[in-house]
Amino acid sequence: MRYSYIKHRRKSAFTEDMQLLLIFFSITLLMLFSTYLFLIFKEYRFSEEKKALQQEQVDLNNSISNMKKQITLIEKQNILAENIHTQNAVLKDSISNLFDLVPQRITLSEATLLENGLILQGITPNKDVYSFMLQAPLRSIFHRTYSSFYPAKNGWLRFVSTNYIDKEEDEDMLDEE
Amino acid sequence: MKSKGLSRQNIYIMVASLLLLILVLSFSFLVLIPKGKEYRIKRSDIIKVRKEVSRFEKFNSDTLSLLKKLQSDNRYTITALTTPFSEDRFLKQHKKYFNTLILSKRVVSEKEGVFLTYDVNTSSKISSPKSIYDFLDAINKSDWIIGVNFPIKFKREGDTIYSTFSMKVYETDKKDSNNSK
Repeated sequence: MRYSYIKHRRKSAFTEDMQLLLIFFSITLLMLFSTYLFLIFKEYRFSEEKKALQQEQVDLNNSISNMKKQITLIEKQNILAENIHTQNAVLKDSISNLFDLVPQRITLSEATLLENGLILQGITPNKDVYSFMLQAPLRSIFHRTYSSFYPAKNGWLRFVSTNYIDKEEDEDMLDEE
Repeated sequence: MKSKGLSRQNIYIMVASLLLLILVLSFSFLVLIPKGKEYRIKRSDIIKVRKEVSRFEKFNSDTLSLLKKLQSDNRYTITALTTPFSEDRFLKQHKKYFNTLILSKRVVSEKEGVFLTYDVNTSSKISSPKSIYDFLDAINKSDWIIGVNFPIKFKREGDTIYSTFSMKVYETDKKDSNNSK
C-alpha cells in the first residue's frame, strides 16, 4: 500500500556543501604535502650538490698542490741552471785572466787551476822578470804565494809558483761587507 | 515549526573544518617550518661551498697559467735537466772545439737535492786557449746542464796544450719529477 504519490529522494552524505568542503580540504592538504615534498627534494639536491662540490674541492686542492710542487721544481731547476752557467762563465773569465796575466817574456809549461788556488810552472829569463811581471800581480790576487826556482838548460830559470786564496779570510771579508 | 539550531550536517562540516585547521597548523609548526629552516640553512651553506669552490677554481686556473708560463719560459732548462747524458752525442757536439777529446765513462756522484749528478772526466788536446773559451760558451747552450769543475790542468808540449778537467752533469731525479706531476 502506498502512502505517497511522489518518489522518495535519495539522501547522500556527500551533499554539495560536503563536496565543496572535500575539494577545499584536498587542495589544502595537497599544497601542504607538495611544499613538504619540494623541501625534501631540494634538501636532497643540496646534499648531492654539496658532496660533488666537496669532491671537486678536494680534486682542485690536489691539483693545486701538484702544480705548486712542479713550480717549485722548475724554480729549483732554473736556479741550478743559472748557477752552473754563471760558474762556467766565471771559469772562462778566470782562464782568460790567467793567460792574460802571464807576460810574453815568461813561458808557461803547466798551469793547474784549483778551487782556491793556482799552480804555475814555466821558464823565466831571470828572477827579476818573474818577480815584477808575474809574482806582483799574483800577490795582489792571492793571499799566499810561494815560488821556487831551478836552473834550466838554456841558462834561464824554471819556476814553480803555488798560490792560494784563504777561504776563511774571504768569508770574513764578505761578513764585514 | 522548524528548529533554529544547527543541523547535523553543519555540525559535521564545522568539526571537519576544525580538524583540518588543527592538522594544517600542527603540520605547519611541527614539520614544515622546521624543514623550511633546515632548507634555508642548507641553501646558505651550499652558497658558501659554491663560493669556496669557485675561489679554488680561480686559484687553480691562476696556478695553471703560472705553471704553463714557467714551463714555456724555462723549456730549455727543463729539457736539458731531463735529457739523459750521452757521451757519443756530447762528443759529436763538442769535439769541434778540440784537436782530440776523450771522455771517461760517467760515474754517479752524490745527489744534490732533487738532482742526480754524474762526474765525467775529460782529457783533450787544444792548439790555443780560445778553444776552451768557445767550449765553455758552447757548454752553456748544450743539451745538458753541465758544470766544469776544478781542478783544470793545462800542460804545454810544443804547440799543443793538453788539458784535463772534470765535468758534472746534472739530471732531475725522475722520482721527484714524477711526484710533482
